[in-house]
Formats: sequence, structure tokens, C-alpha cells
Amino acid sequence: MSADSGQIKAWAESHVDADPQAILEIAVQNFPKLALSFSGAEDVVLVDMLSKIDPNFSVFCLDTGRLAPQTYAFLERVREHYHVELDILFPDNAAVEQLVKTKGLFSFYQDGHQECCAIRKVEPLRRKLQQLDAWITGQRQDQSANTRAALPVVQEDGLFSTASQRLIKFNPLSHWTSAQVWQYIRDNDVPYNELHEQGFISIGCEPCTRAVLPNQAEREGRWWWEEAAHKECGLHAHHGIKPR
Amino acid sequence: MARHITFVKKIKADGELCAKCQQVSQQLESAGLLAKIDRIVIADERDPETEGMRLAAQHAVTYAPFFIVREDDGQERIYTIYLKFLKEVLQQSVSQEAENRAISQDLDFL
Repeated sequence: MSADSGQIKAWAESHVDADPQAILEIAVQNFPKLALSFSGAEDVVLVDMLSKIDPNFSVFCLDTGRLAPQTYAFLERVREHYHVELDILFPDNAAVEQLVKTKGLFSFYQDGHQECCAIRKVEPLRRKLQQLDAWITGQRQDQSANTRAALPVVQEDGLFSTASQRLIKFNPLSHWTSAQVWQYIRDNDVPYNELHEQGFISIGCEPCTRAVLPNQAEREGRWWWEEAAHKECGLHAHHGIKPR
Repeated sequence: MARHITFVKKIKADGELCAKCQQVSQQLESAGLLAKIDRIVIADERDPETEGMRLAAQHAVTYAPFFIVREDDGQERIYTIYLKFLKEVLQQSVSQEAENRAISQDLDFL
């Protein structure tokens, strides 16, 4: 099935404060070609929730080849704990070989992360999403005040939709805080990545992720060597300095 | 009704036009594509009532610049990735690799 823009907007408005499970129910009931993207971090709560709603749910992970050992161990733990088939996606090997051959293994520290991410992350994700009508992410508004403040619980995917394929993206945790996610993890005995015990909040590739200090924004642990101005093109109102 | 394209540019909290918006404007101009843009609207971060800020809120857009494309049938599409807009709307040649690089910035949750 697909849903028109009006339906998407109506779901987003009527479920703005809804439980993530209610949003997942909509996704499951309306989109047979649906999959959850699981990063190996705290979005594991969605694996837990979805496993209780639809035992035949689909979940995929991007194995960039550069994940931390703890993340690989965690993926395996999730697979066993939930008896779920994780669809592990790999990058195109020829593209990775060409990148490493010409630029080495750490070119992102000089050239920025985009080239490496495009090969190891975006291309396999694009390939996967071409098979789907809708996908589910663990994105939350509180992950970045700069770029996620208006993230709805469901939206048309502006990045991966094409003229011939309209893709819907569900963000059931959109309005949850990190504290709510961790409360759910504790209350439901959900397994988690042990890197969280070492100060990591956002977890991506091992060379591009580091732990953050207390009260540091979680996105500061990603691509920290790049200038903040280049990382974020956010659009947010500064109500306090409205000109008269 | 013909296709209508709105280009929303950001003025930052310090009053300066954002660098990315400036860069996109220059690229559109040098490629002779600026004439294909029907309206240019400003989103001033200092004033949430500016038209661009209202459009951003209405369409839940949190990136700048962005484009609103209203098709003949009234359907609207939002583009926050300039290269995707160039390819799909202005029918310019853009490699998949270049588009993937542009998209990568928004995938820090994976």
C-alpha cells in the first residue's frame, strides 16, 4: 500500500504525542514492504517493540566494515535474543577497494566523511530502500536541536523517494527523549551496546565515533574533526532575538 | 497551473546569509538556472514570522537551503538536497555518487 500526502500529514498530526508502539502499528498495518533500520545503538528499543507487534518483522543493519567490535558483538546478541534474522547489508566491494587503494584507510580525516559514507553507508541503504514502501528509523528530535527539532513521527522520505518510488519514513521515537529510551531499556530488560557504558551515546563507525562528556551534545561524538559549520545546515528560530 | 519552484534561503542568527545558501545561489546563477526559480524566499532565523521560517515549519524542514516544488496537479515536493533537486527537477546531470555524498550528512543516526 501507499498513502497520499494528506494521509501522512494526518497520521503525523494525530500521533504527534502517541506511544511509539501506536506509530509502529500504523506502519505494520499499512505497509507490507516495511523494514526497520537498526544501527546497533539505542534504537534497539524499536527492535524490542516491533518484535512484540509483528513477530515476522524485517530488520536490516548497515555493516560498513568499520563498526566497533562491541557493535558487532551486540548485533549478534540482538539476533540471538530476539530470534530475528538481521539483514546485514554490505557496501559494494569494488567501490571500497578503489577508495582504499587511492586514498588509504583514513581519508575521511583529511577529506571529510562524505566520500567514505557515500560508499559504505548511503549506497547499500539506497539499494535496500528501493525494495521497500516504508522504513522505520530511530531518529529523535532531541538528537540535534539544530536539524531534528521538527522531525515528525511519519513523513515522506525526501532523501530517498524518487519520481517512480514514493518512500515513507516512520520515526516512532521522534518525540521521545534519550531518558525515555533508557527508561524503556531498563524497564524491559532490553540488551544494549556495551559502548554505552563507556560514554558513547551516538554510535557509528569506530574511527568516526567517540565518547562524549557529561552534558555534551551527542552529535559532538560524530565526525568531531570537521568544523561545526560544515556539519550542520540547521534551520531554527532564535525567538529571543527577534528584531523589532 | 504550471510547475512552481520556491527557493528558501537562510539568514543566520548573526544576520549573515548562510554559506551553503550563498554557494547554491552562485551555482544556480553560473549554470544559467536561476531563471527557473519562480520565487526566492528568506528564512531569517532571528524572526520566526518570516515567510521562509513559516514554510520551514509548515513542511517540517530543518535544513537550509531547501526547495518547494509545486507540480501541475498541486502536489508539493520538498528538496533539502540541492543535487537531488538539480537532477530531478532541473533535469541536470548529477552522478549518483555525488548525490550520495550530499545525503550522507543526514545519516548520522545509522
